[in-house]
Amino acid sequence: MTFEIDYLALAPELVVAGTIIAALLLDLFLTRSKKYWVAVLSVVGVAGGLVPIVYMLAEGGTRSMFDGSYVVDEFALILKIVFLVSGYLVLLMSVSYIEADRYYQGEYYFLLLSSILGSLVMSSSRDLIVLFIGLELTTGPLFLLAGWRKGDAKSNEASLKFFILGVLSTAILLYGMSLLFGLTGSVEFTAIAAAIPDLVSEPALALSVLFLIVGFAFKASAVPFHFWAPDTYEGAPTPVAAYLSVNSKAAGFVAMLIVMYTALPGISEVWAPALWVLAALSMTVGNLSALRQGNIVRLLAYSSIAQAGFMLVPFAAAAVAGSDLAQAFSATVVYLVIYALMNLGAFAVVIAGARRTGSGDIDDWAGLGQKDPVLGLLTALFFLSLAGIPPLAGWYAKFVMFASVIEAGGISTLVLAAIAAVNSVIAFYYYARVIKAVWLDTPSEELLARPGREYAGSIKLTLAISMGLTIAIGIYPTFATYFGEASRVIATGGG
Amino acid sequence: MIVTAGWYMGLAAILFAIGALGILIRRNALVMFMCVELMLNAVNLTLISAGRELGTLDGQVSVFFVLVVAAAEVVVGLAILVSVFRNRATASVDELAELSG
Amino acid sequence: MAEVIIFGLMALPALAGGVTVVLARNPVYGAMGLLGSMLALGVLYVAQLAHFIAAIHVVVYAGAVMTLFLFVIMLIGVDRADDQNERLPRQRQLVILGVLGIVATAFAVAFSGRFSWVIAATGERIPQATNGTTVALARVLFSDWVLAFEATALLLTIGSAGAIALASRRGKPVDLPIDPEVTS
Repeated sequence: MTFEIDYLALAPELVVAGTIIAALLLDLFLTRSKKYWVAVLSVVGVAGGLVPIVYMLAEGGTRSMFDGSYVVDEFALILKIVFLVSGYLVLLMSVSYIEADRYYQGEYYFLLLSSILGSLVMSSSRDLIVLFIGLELTTGPLFLLAGWRKGDAKSNEASLKFFILGVLSTAILLYGMSLLFGLTGSVEFTAIAAAIPDLVSEPALALSVLFLIVGFAFKASAVPFHFWAPDTYEGAPTPVAAYLSVNSKAAGFVAMLIVMYTALPGISEVWAPALWVLAALSMTVGNLSALRQGNIVRLLAYSSIAQAGFMLVPFAAAAVAGSDLAQAFSATVVYLVIYALMNLGAFAVVIAGARRTGSGDIDDWAGLGQKDPVLGLLTALFFLSLAGIPPLAGWYAKFVMFASVIEAGGISTLVLAAIAAVNSVIAFYYYARVIKAVWLDTPSEELLARPGREYAGSIKLTLAISMGLTIAIGIYPTFATYFGEASRVIATGGG
Repeated sequence: MIVTAGWYMGLAAILFAIGALGILIRRNALVMFMCVELMLNAVNLTLISAGRELGTLDGQVSVFFVLVVAAAEVVVGLAILVSVFRNRATASVDELAELSG
Repeated sequence: MAEVIIFGLMALPALAGGVTVVLARNPVYGAMGLLGSMLALGVLYVAQLAHFIAAIHVVVYAGAVMTLFLFVIMLIGVDRADDQNERLPRQRQLVILGVLGIVATAFAVAFSGRFSWVIAATGERIPQATNGTTVALARVLFSDWVLAFEATALLLTIGSAGAIALASRRGKPVDLPIDPEVTS
């Protein structure tokens, strides 16, 4: 048993952990009006976490610790970039929101940073224990953050529902893990994968895999385990909802894929159909429910459920067809990267729009384009990107998804592709409805009479970054392809 | 007669099922939370008996982490419950209907 | 043989406690049931040579966690059994029946299968490796799992810091006015 810690490999985590401690301490010495310095510190710290990642990416190679249970390969680094950048954007959009809301500020950043750290740990984990701890560290703070507006009954309820279902999913996940450990005799993914071929006929193995999928599906809010998501998104502070829809969803999603891909490829006949059903249901139910929503946050909640379905499509299709999983992995990661950027942009628009109109109802947003043309343009940009209209980034995500499905071949995958195609059309309808309200409907007297306040610099920066990247990836998709290609390294190096 | 790991696993499976049943039929958030704790205990029992059977300490290490996570979750959960009770005097999930639909 | 007796003596209270949690109308009884179940499980851990785990199980779970549960039950006053009239709608009964059926089938399938290492396992054990003494566990915990261990430290900090922020009351509970002096 060699015991050595590679501090460079851990540097991103250490930087974020240092920031967490510094934020907690700094918070003690600041008066209420100076609390935004904690936000500044957090933003700088998260950006600082990117530095060692870029260094390691440039250097290349795979770093492994603790007998291969903590692996820093290109796949992990790519995921860490996704988590850090989206965490950075969420922190930015929180600043003015949390300052205006008059609740605790220092602890808010502390909890959000802890959650980001959890997702960093999760992306490198290659055994059940570290994966579980990383996942808990990601979701644990979010139970509290969802109820941050504690004077508001909606926020209370959001947090309680989220919590009960969250711990329930943890228990189910853990039971699956305990059975898997008992059967294979190890908690490390490579050892589990090696033990699987002898156990394929074991019914208990299928049972444990199903338990795992249910647990992860709860965290990724895939249908039919999604019912907490819209309520929680609506009740939680909007930046927290943005975080839930991107980082926390991605964490559950990625954890599921890592386990399926590295530990359980030998038993894909059990989980492949399950993922197929999850993908088809998530797309369909998510989109059909989104059609009926009048509140923009609930609309985005259902839209993000549907987007998770799209994200699952390449992986589920490749697994069902028995084709190259690495190819599907890269398609999924490309989709994830693009989805994170445009969805965070959409949530930033919601924050700005809610400030401008004083409401989250789509009807109250009528004529926002006349009142505030820049915000109207941004609304159109992010929602069209979510719908997958070129030349915005969303089209490339959809393109990669369909391309990988076609490549997989087979009847069942083509059925899934057809479901995805129909759903893209449905999705376009409700995204377009928001744009129609903003641009074509006549503004109410009330909206025109509202004083036009200046937005905070932080929210402008959030919008600028996500807008720039959404347009850039739409025009130069090679940038996103790089992420996809690099993420395939898990197949050769890490796995 | 020897007690094999199967006995413990069976006991754990039944405890897990009881907890899951409790989640389904009870509407009191506190009781639902206690049912989750029961399920976590079932997980721990499975891990320990599996680890003993396999001759590895990994099972007990896992139990250690499950314990710590459960303890942290209890603090979080009870804080949320107290904050809910500040605004409404009920623990019933059904009576929280602000966000239905 | 001794283990059979211990198993029999402890499995029954463990199950009875679990059933109490589910069925007791009064959450205090439920909490006591859970406490009993946990103590019984603690004994079963000792019977399986998990000494250190058994100790922290009793201290953390039966001690700290259940005390906290009871404290909160008393604090928010659900001990008045306000869910006496908990009624189950018909569709929920159907759902429960369905889920029970699925669970029963699943377990039947699981345990009727080969489940080789569980059913067929004979006494070939490695006592040194499985004897969960404090020293043995600490060796593994602070070498192989040191990263996860550090992460749990953060998890507990999150719990306490978050609980303070969420559950602390300042001024009126609903309106939450600003209190510039207190910056916890």
